[in-house]
This record gives sequence, structure tokens and C-alpha cells, in this order.
Amino acid sequence: MNVHFTKLTASREKRRRAAAFQNAGAFVMAPALREASWTAPALWRFGIVFLALIFAGNIFAADVVADFSAANKFYAEGKFADAANAYEKILQTGAQSPALLFNDANAEFKSGHLGKAIAAYRQAEQLAPRDAELRANLAFVRNQVQGASARERFWQNWLGTLTLNEGAILTAVLFWLTFGLFAARQVRPALAPKLKGVTRIFVALTLGSAIVLGVQTANYFSSATAVVTADNVTARSGPFDDAQNAFTARDGAELSILDRREGWVQVADGAGKSGWLPAKQVAVVPGA
Amino acid sequence: MVEDLLGNYFTRRRTPKLKPGLAALIAFLAVLVSGMAPARAASFTVSLDRDTITLGETATLSLKFEGGKPEQLPSSMTVSNLQLVLVGGPAHFGININGNSTTYDTFSYVVTPTQAGQFTIPALTANVGGQTLTSQPLKLTVTQPGAPPPAGGNTDSQIAFARLTLPKKEVYAGETITADLQLFYRQETQLAREPQITGAPADGFTVGKIAGGNQTAVQIGNAIYNDIPAKIALTANKTGTLNIGPVTISLVLLVPSNNRDADQFFDPFGMLRHTMQKQFTVATGTFDVNSRPLPVENTPTNFNGAVGNYTLAVTAGPTNITVGDPITLRIQIAGRGDFDALRLPDQSGWNGFKLFPPTSKVETSDPLGIEGTKTFEEIVAPQTADVRELPQISFSFFNPDDGKYHTLAQPATRLTVHSAAATPLPAIAANKNSSSENQTPQDILPIKENLGALATKSSPLVAQPAFLAAQSVPILAFLAAFIWRKRMDNLANNPRLRRQRAVAQLVRDGLNDLKKFAAANQPDEFFALLFRLLQEQLGERLDCPASAITENVIDEHPVLRGAPKMTLDALRELFQLCNQARYAPVRGAGELNSVAAKLEQTLGELQEVKA
Repeated sequence: MNVHFTKLTASREKRRRAAAFQNAGAFVMAPALREASWTAPALWRFGIVFLALIFAGNIFAADVVADFSAANKFYAEGKFADAANAYEKILQTGAQSPALLFNDANAEFKSGHLGKAIAAYRQAEQLAPRDAELRANLAFVRNQVQGASARERFWQNWLGTLTLNEGAILTAVLFWLTFGLFAARQVRPALAPKLKGVTRIFVALTLGSAIVLGVQTANYFSSATAVVTADNVTARSGPFDDAQNAFTARDGAELSILDRREGWVQVADGAGKSGWLPAKQVAVVPGA
Repeated sequence: MVEDLLGNYFTRRRTPKLKPGLAALIAFLAVLVSGMAPARAASFTVSLDRDTITLGETATLSLKFEGGKPEQLPSSMTVSNLQLVLVGGPAHFGININGNSTTYDTFSYVVTPTQAGQFTIPALTANVGGQTLTSQPLKLTVTQPGAPPPAGGNTDSQIAFARLTLPKKEVYAGETITADLQLFYRQETQLAREPQITGAPADGFTVGKIAGGNQTAVQIGNAIYNDIPAKIALTANKTGTLNIGPVTISLVLLVPSNNRDADQFFDPFGMLRHTMQKQFTVATGTFDVNSRPLPVENTPTNFNGAVGNYTLAVTAGPTNITVGDPITLRIQIAGRGDFDALRLPDQSGWNGFKLFPPTSKVETSDPLGIEGTKTFEEIVAPQTADVRELPQISFSFFNPDDGKYHTLAQPATRLTVHSAAATPLPAIAANKNSSSENQTPQDILPIKENLGALATKSSPLVAQPAFLAAQSVPILAFLAAFIWRKRMDNLANNPRLRRQRAVAQLVRDGLNDLKKFAAANQPDEFFALLFRLLQEQLGERLDCPASAITENVIDEHPVLRGAPKMTLDALRELFQLCNQARYAPVRGAGELNSVAAKLEQTLGELQEVKA
């Protein structure tokens, strides 16, 4: 255990140095960017700083991989709480990947934290929505949760088969191709009759994907879910500690967020009951 | 027929009418006869509404005079720690039974004791109609609040009392018994408030839950009481002689009252029922219970103090696991006993497991909470792949009913433990086409070994300004193509503009060639090209074929009339130089360069001329 903490501390130190290096690079680069003319020395300096940033990024990635392996080892040894802490520390550095969130969720579940596990699975699902193992584990953990939950509707599940970024990129590609066809028809008017059908298909695809992306974006930003991370949490009728009890939510319950106040979240469960929960007792997951 | 019968019936039942004079005579004779009747002997009796009260309560003493009125009664008197105050009377009553008329007067005294004890209200004497009458003495028992009713007391004369009944007087330490508590109060009274148990001393017992029952009516002696039953769970927590009681209950009753002073105006005839609210404190008897120690012989090794009658059920899952995976062990102990004191017995043989502290919950099936199921849930995790089974679970208890120890055991449960590296994928992910696809997974799928593509947390692309700005590129490209197309179309439809651009390009190329010819000192080619450039530029400006351009157009064409004179002179000079070159072709490179420069300047001025 001590060895591990020493390792983590060393990793943190490396990351701190990398971050400091990055900051220093930005500091060095700024005057170069500010120079009115890109003289040869300025370009040379910029190139050095750019390479330094790439190098620092590689050091950072190497640290994360090492910490990830250490956390996996904890998990294999059955030290699930330690594993969850280790995964959480990696996530706190800002790094994330579907596998990292998946493993963190597994460790939280094995530690008995259903809510934290579901929140992590759902965050992983937003990065890798078609991961069958992830969906299987999420379904399994959800089955362990007692009480009413506000789950995604069919159309939200359908939208969730693509990440928001995947949807954005798909729509952008279709958009570019469509306008590329428009431009080609201007440059080569002779091709216009031949491109007519293809252009119509691309216009339709672009419009369709843009509509889906719009709905997906609205869902992402407006349909956030609060996952209860403590057991037997009492929702109150107002955002006050002494407000009347509205209902009780169990660990892992997924509740729709209706409103937010400082330190409080107004939620509704699947049975239509609503109330205010302390924000520290829930994990907020954006819409799918 | 029916009408005839009814008619005869009413004819027979018809009361004969009396004449007013005859009725007055009969009434007068009746009064006379009653006055002539022999005078009945006067009597004097006293009574108490109850013979036992609690200190702080009051009783009512009624003085009943029959056949006359007393000459004088004291308004208050004190009789051996009892204070009697006249509060009502006289209430005059007249009764006519079988023609004999009886009248009597009743006076009421409120009796207030000043201390507890047995008191005797002595015989009272009164003068009624010249007779001296003496009543019988009365006994009144005044008890301390919370004290039990006197043993063998006449309960049917009490307003309320309580009774405690134990199922047995011999128990084992740790045994839970159920005591029956009953509260009785007279049916003619009413509960003003819910009765409260104010004291339940139980030395050596742990008092558990109290469960109330349904009220019933019972007859005790000559009185009818309402009976409110309750059951109390008692667990003996030590050995020796244990005491329980008296259980004291405080209740407030609405009891009938003879005091109508306040209601004389609204109820002058005493037709309404009058009650007054009184507080009572009743107490049960005291009982001694012998608590025996549990037998020492044949005590099971894992006995941890459970007394009662139980069954054992154990479930564990999952049983196909990886090293370190948790197994949930549920141990259910059901039956009758003190569930709060029930603990999970220490188990042996768990060397290859990591044990987590168990949790427990009790689900009772009776109101007293002494029957039900206590479920212990314990998480255990095998630490090595060598573990093959969950050890046997055993539980021992002492059954007080048969006075014996019993041991229940759940046999060992087989386990399949895989090492962490060789964890087979559960069917849900490993083989979607297999027949086990519909099987319910027993656990989550294992962790991922590869970190995969690492990214930093960032807002989605649709919220990033750079991504949104990039989407303007295809729009701008299309706009550029569109504008280019428009210009091309415009050029195609404007031959003069097209010629203008073609000539401009020709001039640009021609000037470069002129410089080359000058550098190469090729005067023939130089002047031939110069002449051609002049023709092309003038032809474009004058909108006429270039071949038709000669020096003469400078003076003749109306377009050039508006051109600057210097430009026109320069044009003439250039034409003349071309003509001279045909006759004197030899010139130096420097002269040719200066001519080329002059041509460039002149053509530039000519392009400014409005066509």
C-alpha cells in the first residue's frame, strides 16, 4: 500500500512537472506569437516549444497508463475501494477514456456504491455508446437498484447509439460534402445534370442528420440526470434542510433534473414525485 | 270484511267521553282520598357512589330522605380526614307505585379525602317530621396514586381498575414472555382521553413493545366494564427473583354527575345526562417471577445466548466467481424470541476469505416484534483460487419450551473460483449467439486491461467555437465558386470585356518579350511586336479590328479626340519609330529599352482612355 502511494505521488509529481513545463512553454511562446513579424528566430523558437508540448503530453499519457495499470492491479487483488480511489485520482487529472470510466464503475460497484457506479457507466456510455460490455454492466447494476428511477426513453436510447461528437462529425462531413457538390456544380456546370440526384440525396442526409444533431444537443444540455450516490436520501419539498420530506431515494436511483439552486438539485423520479436533494448527494450526468 | 273488523276494533277501543262536571268531581275525590290515606313512616338512608377512590379524587355522598324533609342540614362537615361539602339538593321526587304515592328528597355532599387510608363515615342523624332518623355508617377506602387496588377488593364498585396477567412464573434468563395487561372502566363512563401507561416497573425484565387489542365489554360482579387489553413483551435479562408491577395507567373519564346547579336554567327538569371529567390513576398488582439460569450441560460450542425457538436458512451467491469477487451470504434466522439480542454466531473455517462486517435487518410478523425473521447479510470474498466451498454455517439456541439446546446447520456450499487472469467472460458478452444469451448474468463483466484512446475532458464539439467556425469553410468555398461562375458567365456574355482582358494579357506578355528582344538587340522583331501591340491596344479601345489600325486613326477616330495630347503625340512617335525601323533597322539595345518603356507608359495611358 505504501509503495503504491509513493508511486502515485511520484506520478503526480511527474504530471505537475509536465503541467509546469506546458505552462512554461505557453509563457515562452506568447511573446513569439505577439511579434509582428514571424522572423526566423521566432519561428525556430515556436517550433521548439511545440515539440516540447508534444513531449510533455507523452509524459502525461505514460503516467496515466502506469496509474491505470496500478489501479487494475488493485482490482485484481480484490481491493476494490483502493482501485476506485486510484481510478478516481486519474479522472481528477482531467484524463478520461471509456475503459477508465468503465473500470472505475466496476470498482465502485464492487465497493457497494451503486450510484457512483451508474454515474461512471453512463459517462463511459457517452464516450462509447455501442460498447456491449458497458451496456451489460450498466443494465446489471441498474437491476440492483431499488425504487423508482427516471430512465431514458426509447428515442433517447436511439439517439444515444452515437455520441454527440460522432453526430457532430457525421453532420459536418455531410455538410461539407453537400456544399462541395454545390461548389463543384458552379465550377463545372457541365457536371450539374449528373450531380443532381447525388446532390439531392446529400441535402436530405444533411438535413436529417442536422435535425438529429439538434435534438441530440438539446437532450444533452437539457435532459441531465441526477444519480443518487448515497443511500436513503430524503428529497425535500424545498431547497432547505428543514423542508418537509417529499420522498426517499435509494442509492443508484436515476432522477430527472428539473431545476438547480445553490447546493440543491430539484429532481423527479420515475413515479412522478419531485423534490429537492442536496447536490453533494447526487452525481449529475448529462443527457445521452 | 276487513273494514268491518277494524271498525268493530276501534269501536271497542273507543274511550267513553266524560262530561266536564263529572271529571272535576272525580279529581276532587281523588285528592280527598289521598289526603285521608295513612301517613307512611319517614326514612333516611345515605350512600356513596363508590367505596374506593384515589387520593386526589372525590366521592359523592347522597342523603336520601323519604316521607319528609329534614329540618336542617349542615353545609359542610369534616369526618376523620374526610371533608364533606353540600353541593346539591334538595332534589324532590315523587313516585306513585300501585296507587301508593312515595316522595323523597336527596341531598349530595362531595367527599374529599385529605389523606389515604380506610375511613368510616359515621351514622348521620336527622330530624324529619319530628322523628329522629339515623343512617348506617359507610366505609370509604382512599388509596395512594399508583397503588394497586386492595387485594380482594370489590372491583364491581370501582370506576376503573387494571389487571396484569403473566403466562408463567418460571422463566429462563433471556426468555421472552408475553404479559397481558387489561384496563377496565365502567361502561356508563366514557374515556375523555387515551389512557397512558405512566409506570411499568420491571426489575430484571427488558420491556419490549406494547401492542393494544380491541375493546370488549365484560361483566364483573353486577357491573359491566369496558375492557381494553394490551400485550407486553418481557424478556428476562438476569437470573433470580424478578419483580414486575405495579403497572400504573392514567386515564380521564367522563363520569355521571348529580350536580346540576350550573344547568338549572337549561335543564330545570334534569332530563339531560350530566357528566363530569375525572382523572384516575389505576395500578395493577405486583408479581414475582423466578428467572432460572440456562443449563450448563450440553451447551453447544457456538452458542451465543440465543433463547427462543428458531429455524435457519442460508443462501449464497454468486458461486461462480473470480478471486476477490464478493459473495453475498444471507443467513435468515426465523422464529420466536428476542430478535434485538440475536447475533450472528462466530463461524470458523473462513481462512481463505476476506470477511466484511455483516449487516442485519429484522422483519417481524407480530405487533410485539417477538416473531419474525432476522436476516444477516455478509459479504465474503475468496482470496485465492484454491477455495472450493463456503464453510458450514451453524447456529445454536436454547429453547425454553423444552428446556434444551438445539443446533441448526447449513452444509458447505460449493464454489467455483477462477483466478483473476483467467476470468471467463460471462455469456452476455462472450458469446452472443450461444443459447445462454437469455440467461440472467450473475455478476458484472470484468475490467478492461487497456486504457484505450485517452482524451481530456472537454465540452462537446457542438459547443466549441472552432468547430462551429470551421463549418463556414464549405459555405465560403461555395460562395467563391458561385461568384467565380457568375464572373465567368458575365465574361462569356461580354465580348468587348473578353477582348479587353485578352489584350491586357497580350500587352503584359508582349512587354516582357519586348524587353527580351531589346536585350538580345533584335530590332526587327522588337518593332514588329511593338507595332502589333499598338494595333491591339488601339483596336480594343476603338472597338475595331487590330489589323485596321494605322497611324491615321490617331487623328481621325472620335474616341481619341478626348485623349490627352501627350498620349496622342506619344502614339504618333511610336508609329513613326516603327516606320523608321523598316528603313533604318540598326539600333542599340539601350534605345530599344527606352522605346519599350515609352510604349508601356503610353499603353497604360491609353487604357485610361474611355472606350
